[in-house]
Amino acid sequence: MNQPDTPSQTIYLCDDTPDGIFTAVYDAWASGLGHQNVALALNGDYNLSLFARYVSVTTDYEKSFRVARSVQRKLSSAVFDMAYRASLSNDPEKADAIYRFLVLAFRRGPKIVSMLGLPQVQTIFALHRRVSNEAHYFVEFTRFSALAQHLLYGKICPKANVLPLTAPHFADRLPSESWILLDEKRNLAALHPADRDWVLMPVQKDELEALCHYDAEEDQYRSLWKLFHKTIAIRERTNPRCQMTHLPLWYRKNMTEF
Amino acid sequence: MILQEHMSLEKKLEILSDAAKYDVACTSSGVTRRGEKGCLGNTAAGGICHSFAADGRCISLLKVLFSNECVYDCKYCLNRASNDVPRATFTPEELCTLTVEFYRRNYIEGLFLSSGIINTPSHTMGLLYQTLLLLRRQYRFNGYIHVKTIPGADPELIQKIGYLADRMSANLEISTQEGLKKLAPHKTHARILAPIRQIQNSILQDRLEGRAEGFLPPPRTQTGLTVASRNQSSLSPQIPAHSAADPHLQYLARTAQTVSRSHPRFVPAGQSTQMIVGAVPESDFQLVRTAEALYQNYDLKRVFYSAYVPVNEDASLPSLDTRPPLLREHRLYQADWLLRFYGFHAGELLTEERPNFNLFIDPKCDWAVRHLELFPVEITSADYATLLRVPGIGVKSARRILYARKHSLLDFQALKKMGVVLKRAHYFITVNGHMLYPVKLEETYITHNLIRSEQDKNWQIAREMTYQQMSLFDDFQLV
Repeated sequence: MNQPDTPSQTIYLCDDTPDGIFTAVYDAWASGLGHQNVALALNGDYNLSLFARYVSVTTDYEKSFRVARSVQRKLSSAVFDMAYRASLSNDPEKADAIYRFLVLAFRRGPKIVSMLGLPQVQTIFALHRRVSNEAHYFVEFTRFSALAQHLLYGKICPKANVLPLTAPHFADRLPSESWILLDEKRNLAALHPADRDWVLMPVQKDELEALCHYDAEEDQYRSLWKLFHKTIAIRERTNPRCQMTHLPLWYRKNMTEF
Repeated sequence: MILQEHMSLEKKLEILSDAAKYDVACTSSGVTRRGEKGCLGNTAAGGICHSFAADGRCISLLKVLFSNECVYDCKYCLNRASNDVPRATFTPEELCTLTVEFYRRNYIEGLFLSSGIINTPSHTMGLLYQTLLLLRRQYRFNGYIHVKTIPGADPELIQKIGYLADRMSANLEISTQEGLKKLAPHKTHARILAPIRQIQNSILQDRLEGRAEGFLPPPRTQTGLTVASRNQSSLSPQIPAHSAADPHLQYLARTAQTVSRSHPRFVPAGQSTQMIVGAVPESDFQLVRTAEALYQNYDLKRVFYSAYVPVNEDASLPSLDTRPPLLREHRLYQADWLLRFYGFHAGELLTEERPNFNLFIDPKCDWAVRHLELFPVEITSADYATLLRVPGIGVKSARRILYARKHSLLDFQALKKMGVVLKRAHYFITVNGHMLYPVKLEETYITHNLIRSEQDKNWQIAREMTYQQMSLFDDFQLV
């Protein structure tokens, strides 16, 4: 092959999805170039480096599945959970961080999740914690509107890709309701028909809203809720800064009461 | 008094949520219950907040009174009989629809139902029971319910409502018997504690019997929470008879032998109570000691503290321009956490000679600077109980330290990543024999540094409370 004289690094560029990242982990590992000679980066999120070779990774569900399976079988589901949740984060460096973490995990075993003294683990721990916290915020602050035909429709605009983590909560909570939860930023929706399993699928927001006749103003309980939200506050204790700490402004975008 | 005959739902909600807002408890924690097809809702042990009001308090439950009619005349209460305020009462159907519709939209985690006393405590409790029965059985609501125990109500009614609710609470209101007698002539501690004891015993008994979860009978043949089933005829308006032959209880007894998984549990999330802070001149020590006794003797899950907000003018109350003692309330909550999760005793935090918390410094730091002989603590070897007593180390970070140090070397950087607040902790710890900065273990020095780093936060909490300029040098000669 006519390569420039031994590039210092091979960088694997992957899609920003859990499957894309796990496929890249598979390819980088299987390349046999040695862990110190490979790096992972997300498509479109990298700074070109001069002395590096770039490899574009095509997302392959089979490869991704095999990585997931061997992490779960040979290590533990806790290790997988940490890597999976980190892969949903909005950190541009996450792909490489996950690779470093998994390399170390296969060397040190399932106890890796508690080795918080190691920098590679600290990074994944921080990503995992941030994603989990954000997922919980959207369990709390998601708002549905009731549409015609007994359909509930909610919109979120999260920083990390938390929809796959929040949808199961609502599936358990509202099992006999039909609902749609849309991630506006990623054009991704969780669809839940009453009494059936939910599915995740890419959608176009405009088409979706036209289809379900979305009209935010028709719902009478919205005004009742706004009223309640106002009257329940104690005037003598008004404290917008405290409110802001618990409920930062950017979460309020799709909330009925603000 | 304004009659409520044709009052709109909006108006009722406005009056009855406004009247309920002084109750602090809004937690939805203590029980995990999975969702079920054909029902609406589940619960999470950690509790879920859904919004925050303009006062910064969490909104988790639809907190309303069933009615703000009241025959009692407690001096501190907005709804006392002698006040001329608009009165309203929900119908059980209105309340159920409101709860279910709010819940579907993910506005709330469930219902918090309290009430003024209509005629008698038993009558009121009967109305609450009727509402909850409708909500659980007809509306098939499986979310969180917190209901107030009305002291003086028939014990059998309390027993029955306990199978429908997740949490029950009776407010102690004032930590001292004399204070309560002065402000709430109809109430006594003995009368409030009686139902708390009853519920405590029933919870214990229920745990012993090891019943499975679930409030509802096995799903009916038609599944789904359809509009039709919601609008079906309501339950009989009569208050349930007090005899043992209650259909619900009979049903429970029957299903106990057959369908064990749909047998409801008795108050699975336990009990809580609330004390008003600053309505009578009691000390923090009295409050904390009362709370400790309640935790130890009555198995309460939570004691809430409510900074007194003056709503009524009365010679026996603080004047109307009194600001709510928010920083004091904050310190009490911090101490409450120390009692419940950190292994502290009330007597360690405060004494008869030193009966009030230092407003400038949190109770744990305050305790630590007075016990410097126990510090510094070596992170790599100290046990869990010792770690927990270090300011800046919490339950989570203490646990993380325990398992992290088994597998890898620790340094200050790693501690920071684990969530240890080094700003406070560094005075009290060593890692491998070294402190982060060269610090002399001297009470005045550490205290002054801790206060300086907390000043902004304290000012924010207290700014509503006091007009007086706080001066570090005059007010605060601690030692």
